[in-house]
Amino acid sequence: MKRKILKGTSLLLANVMLMSALAACGSSKDKEEEKQPESTGNGTTTNETTQTAVDTTPITYTMLAADPSPDWNQMQDEIGKQITAKTGITLKMDFATDANKVSLVAASGEYPDIISAKGSSNLFVDAGAVLELSDLIDKYGPNLKKVYGDYWNRLKWSTDDEGIYVIPTYDGVNNTYFDAGGAFSLQHQAVEEAGYPQIKTVKDYETIIADYVAKHPKTADGQKTLGLSLLADDWRIMISVTNPAFQATGASDDGEVYIDPKTYRATFHYRRPEEKEYFRWLNHMNDIGLLDPESFVQKEDQYRAKIAQGRVVGVIDQKWGFQSAIDTLKKDGKPGATYGFYSVQLDDSTVDHTFEPTGFMGGYGLMISKDAKNPERIIQLLDYLASDEGQVLINWGIEGKHYSVNDGKRIIPQDIQDQKSNDASNFRKTTGIGLWNNYAPHYGDGMQDSTGNYYTTNFPEQIQKTYTDEDKKVLAAYGKSTWKDFFPSEKDFAAKPWGAAWNLPVPSDSDANIIYNKLTPIVRKRIPEIILSKPSEFDAKWDAFMAELEKNDVKKYEDEYTKYIQERVALWSGK
Amino acid sequence: MEAITNHTKKPGGLKRNGFWFKMLQQKYLYLMSIPFVIWVFVFSYLPIWGWTMAFQKFRPARSFWDQDWVGFKHFVDLFSDDRFFLVMRNTLAMSFMSLVAGFTIPILFAVLLNELRNQMFKRFVQTVSYLPHFVSWVVVAGIVTKMLSIDGGVINDILLGLNLIDKPIQFMGEPHYFWSIVTASDVWKEMGWNTIIYLAAITGIDPEQYEAARVDGAGRWRQIWHITLPGVRTTISVLLIMSIGHLIQIGFEKQFLLGNPLVIDYSEVLDLYALNNGITQNRYSFGTAISIFNSVVSIILLFVANGIFKRVTKESIM
Amino acid sequence: MTRSPSKSKRFGTSMNDKLFDGTNVIVMCIVLIVTLYPFLNVLAISLNDSNDTVRGGLTIYPRAFTLKNYETIFAYQGLVTGFYISVLRTAVGTLLGLLSGSMLAFVLARTDFQARKFVSTFLALTMYVSGGIIPVYMLMRDLHLMNSFWVYILPGLVSAFNVFIIRSFIDGLPYALQESAKIDGANDFTIYWRVILPLCKPVLATIALFLAVGQWNSWFDTYLYNGSSPSLTTLQYELTKVLQSTTNSTDYRGKNITDLVTSVSPESIKMAITIVVSLPILVIYPFLQRYFVKGMTLGAVKS
Repeated sequence: MKRKILKGTSLLLANVMLMSALAACGSSKDKEEEKQPESTGNGTTTNETTQTAVDTTPITYTMLAADPSPDWNQMQDEIGKQITAKTGITLKMDFATDANKVSLVAASGEYPDIISAKGSSNLFVDAGAVLELSDLIDKYGPNLKKVYGDYWNRLKWSTDDEGIYVIPTYDGVNNTYFDAGGAFSLQHQAVEEAGYPQIKTVKDYETIIADYVAKHPKTADGQKTLGLSLLADDWRIMISVTNPAFQATGASDDGEVYIDPKTYRATFHYRRPEEKEYFRWLNHMNDIGLLDPESFVQKEDQYRAKIAQGRVVGVIDQKWGFQSAIDTLKKDGKPGATYGFYSVQLDDSTVDHTFEPTGFMGGYGLMISKDAKNPERIIQLLDYLASDEGQVLINWGIEGKHYSVNDGKRIIPQDIQDQKSNDASNFRKTTGIGLWNNYAPHYGDGMQDSTGNYYTTNFPEQIQKTYTDEDKKVLAAYGKSTWKDFFPSEKDFAAKPWGAAWNLPVPSDSDANIIYNKLTPIVRKRIPEIILSKPSEFDAKWDAFMAELEKNDVKKYEDEYTKYIQERVALWSGK
Repeated sequence: MEAITNHTKKPGGLKRNGFWFKMLQQKYLYLMSIPFVIWVFVFSYLPIWGWTMAFQKFRPARSFWDQDWVGFKHFVDLFSDDRFFLVMRNTLAMSFMSLVAGFTIPILFAVLLNELRNQMFKRFVQTVSYLPHFVSWVVVAGIVTKMLSIDGGVINDILLGLNLIDKPIQFMGEPHYFWSIVTASDVWKEMGWNTIIYLAAITGIDPEQYEAARVDGAGRWRQIWHITLPGVRTTISVLLIMSIGHLIQIGFEKQFLLGNPLVIDYSEVLDLYALNNGITQNRYSFGTAISIFNSVVSIILLFVANGIFKRVTKESIM
Repeated sequence: MTRSPSKSKRFGTSMNDKLFDGTNVIVMCIVLIVTLYPFLNVLAISLNDSNDTVRGGLTIYPRAFTLKNYETIFAYQGLVTGFYISVLRTAVGTLLGLLSGSMLAFVLARTDFQARKFVSTFLALTMYVSGGIIPVYMLMRDLHLMNSFWVYILPGLVSAFNVFIIRSFIDGLPYALQESAKIDGANDFTIYWRVILPLCKPVLATIALFLAVGQWNSWFDTYLYNGSSPSLTTLQYELTKVLQSTTNSTDYRGKNITDLVTSVSPESIKMAITIVVSLPILVIYPFLQRYFVKGMTLGAVKS
């Protein structure tokens, strides 16, 4: 009885969407392959496909997820119950928060039915523990095909084995970035005092800081002003100290390598001569006393405390790395001490590639064990989640309960939004919104469905709401509406045919990885040392650093990486 | 009647037909111990088959018979890595310092605590002293880093105030201070907790001995030297032997948390090296090889320490 | 009959005595301040508003008092089950650990025990060897200990460290006690149970403390073996989850972060968790402490 009603409702919903789709454009077809037009901006889907009869007898599948989900509630959340009602499936979850446990499960020979193993997926594929999914998706997963559209090649495993083993669920298809959050930021008050000059090169950046520090050696609270403070605590050194070196020299984020766009040759990015000059600039900043001497010693909480006290004029980091400090500044009524994000290059010979698009990157996702019963039902579950209805369900929730539709526009009522922000954990637990995002193939931010509404609850209009008046004032002075406007946009670049190198599944016992483990401590030791040395010693120390890298097989690392990149390009372009 | 210590000859006992007769005689002792021996065998010795992983190129999802064998390759890799020797140096240096500090200071503290007159005060101090044990290393490392900071850190402020230095010293950034900082932090955190065993041992000392010493006119220090310390000698010896065995298995948490890129060559220890290059990289075989190395060295140290102690102090554990 | 030295009359060197006592008290006060500080600091931060904490500079009292950090923790539903299971495993684990440890220690303290050397060595080696996480995991699976309460108790039942510590204490007891009991017709088990065990109160209290703290603090076994059994969860594991739910994922590449603001920061939660976990131990501690911090009135009993 209940099933019939729900089935009826879902058919009704589907029909409503169908109508609006017809009204918009195109015609409806049943269970046919739909091609997704490749776009880097806002896209719209052209058609809705309906499911034919789905077996909904109750069945429980076990699952292992490699990321913690502390609010997981055994599918007792509202979305979870809806999913069970639609598909009959209940998931029994176990979580692995470190690589150890995943390997244990792999070693034990007893696999859960669904496995989400992140970087350890190859353990299962190598052992033949998981199913090859192309046929199943073909038969049972029309929505999956629709979501992945043109990126189908990117689901393939490797050039040696072009089967599909992993259904990517972490990365969103056609994700758009709405704002810039790094790396170079300056306090509003410094920029204002300088008269909103052009900020293009590190020299411009430096001048603003130097002038401000000269005029304000102490803050209003009597604390010493710091020109620039960096964070080198464990892996954060990459975000604050080393990645900006390639960001400022016209390269996009490919992890620790730089890929030549024509030859696909990989270079360990520190070996680029341009980056030497970036570190020379940091060395110079230290020499003239603008760099916080504690940069390489401080822990994260000390770093944030300095920023939260309004003492740091320039921060080189990603916004999420010091968001809480910004919030405290706002609460303390010091909006002038908060930050704007600018596009800074070493000099004017390079273009900022921060927003160079990668296209959908495949990546981590779900695998199905070879021992699972009725694997087609699992595909159907994923297919349901990938359908428009499913996408709205996991992002927005249930209509009437978590959102309402006013004049065809989906909006979230204020009380739900408040709950979401203030009582996040309980909200997730009871509604289930936010719990399912990594378990289903999904569209990225910025994608709109056939009703003209966004699939996800992050959209560009929200950005304006997060800006303070001070933010808006500075932006207006430069004639921009978001920080992203300072940067060259995605439209100026072609998508990288290899996606992003940091996301390559390099096997852990490969030579490349072993060498990388040797290179990391060298980099982490030498770079701070070089930055803190006397300018006259810079060149000698840098050359020694380069020699040390070579001694530790960096060239072999680059060769291996080049091979991986070339393989991926071949695989993804569908030879 | 005198207390007979460990190493007086065994009491009575006619050795008639030897082994089996004795066993029957001691059947209760056997019954009270054999089950546990089996237990230990199952839970501690059985899993050692996993050491074979160090000689394979282990892939977790494949069965045992399906693995590739590589012989001693991983050990060769281990010993030919320059970093390995650096790491060993750091490990040995810090654990040696920690051994010295970690024994002398808690014993001294236990002795002094014991000498406190006021029972309430004694219990209060003892309780408070172990509180840092419950504070995680993350927090303690944060406190230490802040105290030693050049930007308003307490230590520098004091030194400047006393005119002992004219510029703040970047303690945490100086590689040569690192080992001392780690040892001092460890003492701070664990001294109170480590004292507990010694306190318990001191409790077992016959108070009449103190009485007798007083009558003979011995002062406090004399009493401590001749009664208290010898009274806990067995406990100290046992703990010392076990600790020497653990010399290279000192974990990595505190060194990792107190470290930073400037002191990385002095802070990386064997267990961190194993972590970075072993399991987290899914390099089980390499990780297992390091683990075997660890165990072999530990066992050698154990036997050596045990042997020396047996000869010199007649206390031992085996 | 025996009187503690503190009450006995002081002869002779009373000036030295006073100096000694005085210095001792001063030293102890310094220790007191130094060791109390970290804990008070944690307490202060746990009672401080997260946004204010970011500014740093907190010492031993909160600047912006709030109970929100604790409210966040206690609003978490899994805690109740976790608490019960943790208490249960602490009680059972400590009891069984004491029994097994003391029994083995008694046996190994007997120099006439035939298999003494073998068992001692066999036991000692276990402290330094381990098969590795994978074989242990598979063993647990084969013994059907996964998803069961007993995985918390059984594997760690026999601890070489504990055995040797207890043994060193028993070694200090006069053997004459055992001899005379034997003459009275007692077998080895009775000697253990009736004669030796009651005398071991100080060391048993100490080992009980170690066992209890170990059981109370552990969560890794819950995570590895009982991850999919919510009814067997432990307090520490639940608290780990509380911490995770206030920490945003650290992998921000490829994502828009619009709802980054959390009302309670992970650091504040971490501090509150420390307090919540330590408090029960602090409460129980004095009951154990009286066994090993004595005014010297309890000691080895003379024959």
